[in-house]
Amino acid sequence: MAELNHPISSPCRAFEEDLVLLHYGDLGGAERDTLQAHVPSCPGCSTYLRELAHLLPLTVKADEPTESFWLDYNRELRSKIDHAAKGSWAAKIADFLRVRWMPVFATAVVVALALTFTLGKGLWPSNNNSTEDEALLEALPVAENLEFFKSMDVLDNLDLLEYLSSQNNGNV
Amino acid sequence: MKSADEVLVASAQQGDRRAFEELVDRHKQKAYHIAFDFARDREEAKDLSQEAFLKAFMNLKNFDGRSGFYTWFYRILVNVCLDYKRRQKRAPSDEFDETVLNEAEPSHQPAKPVAPEQHVWAGQLSRKVDAALAALPPRQRTAFILKNHQGLSIREIATLMETAEGTVKVHLHRAVTSLRQSLAEFA
Repeated sequence: MAELNHPISSPCRAFEEDLVLLHYGDLGGAERDTLQAHVPSCPGCSTYLRELAHLLPLTVKADEPTESFWLDYNRELRSKIDHAAKGSWAAKIADFLRVRWMPVFATAVVVALALTFTLGKGLWPSNNNSTEDEALLEALPVAENLEFFKSMDVLDNLDLLEYLSSQNNGNV
Repeated sequence: MKSADEVLVASAQQGDRRAFEELVDRHKQKAYHIAFDFARDREEAKDLSQEAFLKAFMNLKNFDGRSGFYTWFYRILVNVCLDYKRRQKRAPSDEFDETVLNEAEPSHQPAKPVAPEQHVWAGQLSRKVDAALAALPPRQRTAFILKNHQGLSIREIATLMETAEGTVKVHLHRAVTSLRQSLAEFA
């Protein structure tokens, strides 16, 4: 058991925690009875209790704002709630769009692309030409160069004529 | 039979802003004083209590009515105050507001001329108390404020702090011991 031979300002160690509760009126039953019987005969514990009763209320800083403070308070709070409510609606709309409509938009885009590539082939101008056109395009340069080949033939014929004339001169 | 708070909460949950404002009117003074106990500053206390009401408004749909509105709101408020203390710890400010000390005198008391030395003493005490409370670990400070300033029972504090009653008693005792040492010169 805690003894009473402590210096004046020190409570009995075993009772210190309960003394705090006793000060606040939060100690019940047998513990309270024991302490209440002990304290009057213990200078340390009774001084400690007096100290708590003097010191602890000093830690409370009271504040009683004026009526105008409360008017400002209400106005400010209403404005904050308005702002938060608007913000929350905007956030809800954004959430709604983000959560529900983004997959829908993404799916729609994918479907549109798929349809375009599969069904819309004939709708777009194509660089692919038919085989007839290809043949014509191949023939055109040939036709353009026909005159050239003809002139080449004339040159060939000239060579032949020269050769023949030289042959004839030799024979002569 | 439903309490006035329950009726107001039910209306507010249906989107009745007037009902929520009525709830604010019923509880704002208590809320402010709790916030003031934590912040020890008028503007901070106003902001903190308003923040708590705002959170209550935004989460009112989630309030299931298993506890009373005030109990539910009280927990929001205390958490807001504890968050504030944590934020404050990250960005400490040692400024002392003399005006708060002057305004702190309860309005129901007649204004008495205060001797200059009393003024100085009150200022020193206030500063010392602020510093001593700020130096307490958060859970000790919370237990102390809820007991010493708010007058909650150990059981109520334990519920609010989501801990055992024995733990609250230990926090409270340690807080009182620290404060007693810090404020020994005023004993």
